[in-house]
Amino acid sequence: MDTLTFMGFSPGDSLLHRLDPRTKQILLILAGGFCLNKNPLFLGLMTLALAGAGHQARLSFFRLIKEIRYFLFFLAGVFAVRVITLSDHWTLSVDPDGLQESVLMLWGLVLVVVMGILLMVTTRISHIRAALVWFLAPVPFVNERSIATMVGLMVRFLPLILFQAAEMADAQRARGIDHRKNPLYRLSCFTFPLFRRIFLKTDDLAAALQARCYTDNRTLPQLVFSRIDALILWAVLVMMGVSISVFSHP
Amino acid sequence: MTQTPPILRVSHLSHRFSDGTLALDQVTLDFQAGELTVLVGANGSGKTTLLRHLNGLLMPQCGDVEVCGVSVQKNPKAARKRVGMVFQDADSQIVGETVYDDVAFGPENLKLNRDTIEHQVRAALSTVGLWDMAEKPSYVLSGGQKRRLAIAGVLAMKPEILLMDEPFSNLDYPSLCQVRDQILALHQDGHTLVITTHELEKIVHYAQRLVVMEKGRVVRDGAPQDVAHALERYGICSPCFMQAACGRSPWTP
Repeated sequence: MDTLTFMGFSPGDSLLHRLDPRTKQILLILAGGFCLNKNPLFLGLMTLALAGAGHQARLSFFRLIKEIRYFLFFLAGVFAVRVITLSDHWTLSVDPDGLQESVLMLWGLVLVVVMGILLMVTTRISHIRAALVWFLAPVPFVNERSIATMVGLMVRFLPLILFQAAEMADAQRARGIDHRKNPLYRLSCFTFPLFRRIFLKTDDLAAALQARCYTDNRTLPQLVFSRIDALILWAVLVMMGVSISVFSHP
Repeated sequence: MTQTPPILRVSHLSHRFSDGTLALDQVTLDFQAGELTVLVGANGSGKTTLLRHLNGLLMPQCGDVEVCGVSVQKNPKAARKRVGMVFQDADSQIVGETVYDDVAFGPENLKLNRDTIEHQVRAALSTVGLWDMAEKPSYVLSGGQKRRLAIAGVLAMKPEILLMDEPFSNLDYPSLCQVRDQILALHQDGHTLVITTHELEKIVHYAQRLVVMEKGRVVRDGAPQDVAHALERYGICSPCFMQAACGRSPWTP
């Protein structure tokens, strides 16, 4: 079961743990967006900042690599497609113009994913949910509390659904599903019972929520925007400003 | 001598599922405060359906259920505050990502203030011996710990009555002992407990009352020593010690 789950909240007292979840989400959007701008100075500074923050939050580098290994394979594929070209004589060659740009783009994407993981590792789901409610509150015609609850439940139940899917696949393999060559047949054998089971579980979940007096209007965790949040936000904005000025005016 | 009114009253309760199956048929039962009642019956006898009526998850189609004199149908929210339910599948009941978050879920729904929530979560987790694991992700707990977490999630709402649907299923021996000890401690604290089980011998010794259901009806109701000898005719296995006392080998017809 443990191997099927992604990185979740890990308690601690690091700087990232102490930041307001709203600050972390704003930083993820701001810095994440700017990472895709392919500014090498900003990427370098962010790499140093994230490495320091990750180390302080006791995030293991090897565990991180393990968690994003499939994403890294995907990035390697994207890199190969962008950089390696086929010449007129059917020989492979590296496009030097695209090389630098591709490296910067992939570097930025890796940093965005690392930022997302750091957010998950250092923030309780209930706090992420509370921040989401705060952000969505001014949006008209959106029930921010329902959306936040859905996000919370999805994070909670995704590992269970994956576990059930793996268990069901094992049970079907034990009864020789591998001998059936028709992929549609195999897919239907797998998906229909899985969905049926998930819907039954959903019924149980709904009853459990009702039994514990579930309501949209619940007590949310208290969010505190402190001086350190303001400082960090300013620091990132300054980093962005400096990076733009250095690389816009060589 | 005046008798105290029952904390839970079920009167002529009937329930029919949408496929036509009669799940409950004119069930009438009273539960006194502080009583530990074990509810047994073969699969499909109506035990879980009855429990779901007791805290308003199902509403009576016929008859009535009262908690502390208040009809569940009229005020289901009040009933759910007073009657906590621990489900058979703890995984379906645990909604929080961490142990702490899950236990806080109920009090947060009751709109309690943060300090009260903190206090009640700490008390509930300490009661079930899980306070040290408050920050752990709920999905890494063992089966017994999950069951205790489910109990804590209900206790944090401070109910007077606890309903437990098959609390001993799928547990190894140490976990089973922990859950049973938890139930007994809750009973000692004065909670009213209604427990459904197929594993009668794990709890019958401590129960004050044994209710047998068959095809949606209550067919036996009394002290365990008076009722337990006639269980097999209703498709329920008697506790081994009772079979042995009658000179029979356990698990033989």
